[in-house]
Amino acid sequence: MAEDLVLDTAIRDWVLVPLSVVMVLIGVLRYFVSKLMRSHQAPDLKVVKEGSVSSSFTHHDHIPFSKLVLPLDVDLPSLDLFPRQVILRARNLRAAAGFIPAKSFRSRKTYFTNEENGLLHVPKGQAQNAQAQMFSDPNLAMDMMKKNLSMIIPQTLTFAWVNFFFSGFVAAKIPFPLTQRFRGMLQNGIDLSTVDVSYVSSRSWYFLNLFGLRGLFSLILGEENAMDDTQRMMQMSGFGFDPSRSLSAEKDGIDIIQHEWALPKMEKRAEDALKKLLK
Amino acid sequence: MAVEGDPRASAKKSLGDALDDLPIFNADNLQNNIKSIYYSRTFLSIIGGVIAGIWGFTGLTGFIFYFIVMAAASFSLAAKAKFSVHAYFDSWSRILLDGIFGGLMSFVLFWTFAYDIVHIF
Repeated sequence: MAEDLVLDTAIRDWVLVPLSVVMVLIGVLRYFVSKLMRSHQAPDLKVVKEGSVSSSFTHHDHIPFSKLVLPLDVDLPSLDLFPRQVILRARNLRAAAGFIPAKSFRSRKTYFTNEENGLLHVPKGQAQNAQAQMFSDPNLAMDMMKKNLSMIIPQTLTFAWVNFFFSGFVAAKIPFPLTQRFRGMLQNGIDLSTVDVSYVSSRSWYFLNLFGLRGLFSLILGEENAMDDTQRMMQMSGFGFDPSRSLSAEKDGIDIIQHEWALPKMEKRAEDALKKLLK
Repeated sequence: MAVEGDPRASAKKSLGDALDDLPIFNADNLQNNIKSIYYSRTFLSIIGGVIAGIWGFTGLTGFIFYFIVMAAASFSLAAKAKFSVHAYFDSWSRILLDGIFGGLMSFVLFWTFAYDIVHIF
């Protein structure tokens, strides 16, 4: 272990603390800005109404096929919302399959996966259309752009600021030793090769802050909007292929599922619970 | 199985009979429980980082300290759930392993910060 360097107190005062404070503040600022800029896309009323033809499911056990209305001629702007609603309904069906009797489950299942007019069955020609329309839909593209920018710009600006002002000196010492390989990464401004790798430059302090403050943000900013930038970017990039692929994925999911009746002893359990309450 | 009124670990109902088939989860409660585990672990990693820095742990000692703190947290969470984990979560791995590596980065950050402020400067 090399000798302990004595570092100037001014570095602590003017580098470490301001950098952390600035990053926390930028995170808070970004949270509020994204909250203000979030455009709320209300689902189209017509699409939701047509999607709610299944509300009659709760009253009948068996729906004859002639009664099923399929909105095949949907207008373009709501094209991205209709598959989304259908996917939500299909997922609910899969999740709650154990709570409805077998016959009604089967009728719902056929409603979704029927080859001719099932909701989830997308003919091959339509699949490509949906994809192209997704990208030309201005609303969605704007949203993606906004989210990406609000992530990338503060990070880039802060990184440039750090590089400009705080380069060329030792900023901090990390308490654990690393191998020599990390020297190039952690000590970019320091040109002495004999300095212990534990003494790092401010660029690595910036990155350490970047990853470590995520937990802090999730604590002080509430449930979400912790800085999970990489996750969100991955979500956004996979968005364009949403309709056709996830529809067929949901269809396969529903096809696979076995119906297990979860409520055979419900009456007995209700009786026990009520008895316990009455005691 | 009775539903606990404890707001900290609001339980989800699950079938406890010997002949039960599918466990039923109340998704909201499960989510709430998982969130409180996450918050506890994050908070503990931050505090643990500051403590490790002030005490001057270096190298492997610091990481061992972090895992000790995480194990103590897991144990306390399990004790809070009265060791009947399946009444509150869907699997053991939630209460034991979830969030350990997420808290590691926060721990390292605050460990470095405290260590530098106290020992180097």
